[in-house]
Amino acid sequence: MIASGAHLPKLRRDGRPPDPSWLPRQRRGITPQMIGRYPDFDVFDAEPTWDEQTRRVVKERLQVRGPLRFFSAEEELTLRAFCDTATAQEAEPRVPVAELVDRKFALGELDGFRYHDMPSDPETWQRVLAGLDHTARERHGCRFAELKQAERERIVGELASGSLKGGPWETLNVARAFKVCMRAILAAFYSHPWAWNEIGFGGPAYPRGFMRLGQGVEVREPFETPGASDEDPVRVAEELEQ
Amino acid sequence: MSARTALQRVLKGSIGPRENDSRFLLDVHARAIPGRERMRRYREDEEVDMVIVGAGAGGSVLAQRLARRGWRIVIIEAGPFWDPDEDWVSDEAGSHRLYWTEPRVIGGEDPVELGKNNSGRGVGGSMIHYAGYCPRFHPSDFRTRTLDGVGADWPIAYEELKPHYEELERELPVAGQDWPWGDPHSYPFSPHPVTGAAARLWKGALACGIRMRVGPVAIVNGTFGNRPHCIYRGFCLQGCKVNAKGSPYVSHLPDAIAHGVEVRAGCMAVAVEIDDASGAARGVSYVSEEDGSERLQRARAVAVCGYSIETPRLLLCSRSRRHPDGLGNNSDQVGRYVMVQGATQTAGRFPDELRSYKAPPPEVSSEQFYETDPARGFARGFSIQTVSPLPIGWAEHVLADGHWGGALREYMRDYNHWATIGVLNELLPHPENRVTLADEKDRHGRPVARFDYTLGENDKRNMAFSTRVITEILQAAGAQDILTIKRFAHLIGGARMGTSPEQSVVDPDQRIWGTPNVYVCDGSVCPTQGSANPALTIMALASRLAERLARGAAR
Repeated sequence: MIASGAHLPKLRRDGRPPDPSWLPRQRRGITPQMIGRYPDFDVFDAEPTWDEQTRRVVKERLQVRGPLRFFSAEEELTLRAFCDTATAQEAEPRVPVAELVDRKFALGELDGFRYHDMPSDPETWQRVLAGLDHTARERHGCRFAELKQAERERIVGELASGSLKGGPWETLNVARAFKVCMRAILAAFYSHPWAWNEIGFGGPAYPRGFMRLGQGVEVREPFETPGASDEDPVRVAEELEQ
Repeated sequence: MSARTALQRVLKGSIGPRENDSRFLLDVHARAIPGRERMRRYREDEEVDMVIVGAGAGGSVLAQRLARRGWRIVIIEAGPFWDPDEDWVSDEAGSHRLYWTEPRVIGGEDPVELGKNNSGRGVGGSMIHYAGYCPRFHPSDFRTRTLDGVGADWPIAYEELKPHYEELERELPVAGQDWPWGDPHSYPFSPHPVTGAAARLWKGALACGIRMRVGPVAIVNGTFGNRPHCIYRGFCLQGCKVNAKGSPYVSHLPDAIAHGVEVRAGCMAVAVEIDDASGAARGVSYVSEEDGSERLQRARAVAVCGYSIETPRLLLCSRSRRHPDGLGNNSDQVGRYVMVQGATQTAGRFPDELRSYKAPPPEVSSEQFYETDPARGFARGFSIQTVSPLPIGWAEHVLADGHWGGALREYMRDYNHWATIGVLNELLPHPENRVTLADEKDRHGRPVARFDYTLGENDKRNMAFSTRVITEILQAAGAQDILTIKRFAHLIGGARMGTSPEQSVVDPDQRIWGTPNVYVCDGSVCPTQGSANPALTIMALASRLAERLARGAAR
């Protein structure tokens, strides 16, 4: 499956990803939901080779936790449900996306631009959270966080396509609002070393650097481990022998 | 081939620049510019020879050149004076401080995202976080109006920049294969090794009949004073902690400071002060981060080097009796003709692991489609360059193709199997693509910049065509799946140079029309942008201006 790419959504008949249950459980290190493609890889194995400043910045992300400082308790419930849905984190261990986004705005960190037809990024977030609850109440009579995963995904799908209407959505360019939120969500999720374990990213590499650049001979440093394979080991060995 | 050229080829890497000792002034064991604590300081009421706004590609080169000729210079820089050992990290999210993240507004039908995409802040400017691609403009870039009937002709020709290109390629220094496009030339350093990911893309290009070459990148590949060799860690866009990647921080500011330049960091320029009686600039007023006070540095001449957003903003904010609508804006030209390059990137999926996060993201490029080909149905062209996004960049790529939630996680887990190739389209200048002042105010109470951008018909055709070309390269390379992100890169224009004050902001000596002593020396003076990354050309323009100022030609 991995060599052929049959797990990739665009190559599948229904255009959807397979259920993550096909993935191996993580054996070393931590990954979000303990699934990943590199079950024997832990980016922290290389930590002794990192520079002090990078180590501080990366490891500090492991310590991020509540209580939230920017978002209200009322908003927190929706925020967590939205971040979970957008990153498909339905179980522990979770990358603390909500906490990282909250910290960004609590520190007043901005990205350097605002669309002329949009409020500031933190204000956009608050309106999106209010909008998600508005739509959930309108359709299901409950809050967004109380919906089942499939229902939440349907609403976020409409947020992504910009088709949500009514209430707070009337004050937003909806598709742009999704982009603004996802910018913060993705920066949070993929800044976390657990996500690097999941995708097999080699991580910080100063001052050690990389040597095996994958031209002709090898693509993996000694501390990098191969991705999991679902091929029959007997057949692979036979092919190698031939 | 002349005997001199033949000798240079044999001596690759061993011919250093003649009048720049930066590579020897740096410390082998520490990355910060040595001697900062002994840096010369000037009093504010002391009239220096020139005050420069912005310590980036333009301002740093201008300062280094003029300081060597005895000019007393102060550079006012809004951002911090970096210590790469302490301030920079091998980490995407941790590099947020490198970008200009102060408020700005974007509009138009095709708004251009700013911040980490194209805007730097701090000593060294946005070259601190550029990828390192350092191509020259082509001779045709300076005459697009004459040759192709689009854009504008420059008031200067390629030949005037050529000696400066050559000198800067030695100073940065640039590594790459012999260059067959534009004005064919070779580079002082040999090409870097190519990763398996880039090699895959290169093979695909060859199968499509597209030639590619390794480089040109401003990354040390050999012995170069005290600058170390690249270690292929792949974090070029996060600030080079190695001092291998060229930027004004390592290539020009050490020499500038050694020759008496003061770099005054943490100081936001707020106005160029014009004397109503003489019409000449008296200096630049700025707000110091230290105590929030507003101060005035007196100077005999001023150079504004804040790039395409902040330069127009500063000029528009500098109102005086002779320039009631902003400095140099009496013909309503300031802030107009701001350009970006189309920078669509397409990634292809391969059966085996490529781990493209290794090695510098810029590897192999092509300028085969640079000039106009009437058969394509649009004017001018594009270049092709391999890139390699780190995880957050890759996530933005996957999202842009329409995937979030479980689908995004699935593509992200597949990260190590992907190779990415991008284009740079030459998008044409348009007067309505402009920087103006918004109603919103920044923390100093000054109006923030608003940048409106809308694509033209020629631009859209160029972008669609080039996206097809890189998609075909991936298909020819055997990609199993393809993901595409449509985006923009780089900034150019906003205070363009020309031959008449009605249609430009600065004259061919980059001096603001109607002033005797205010210059603009950054990417905003370029009337067109080609499809080359702009850094080297911005530096070459600064080098040329410095030469003319020192000779007295521009006074």
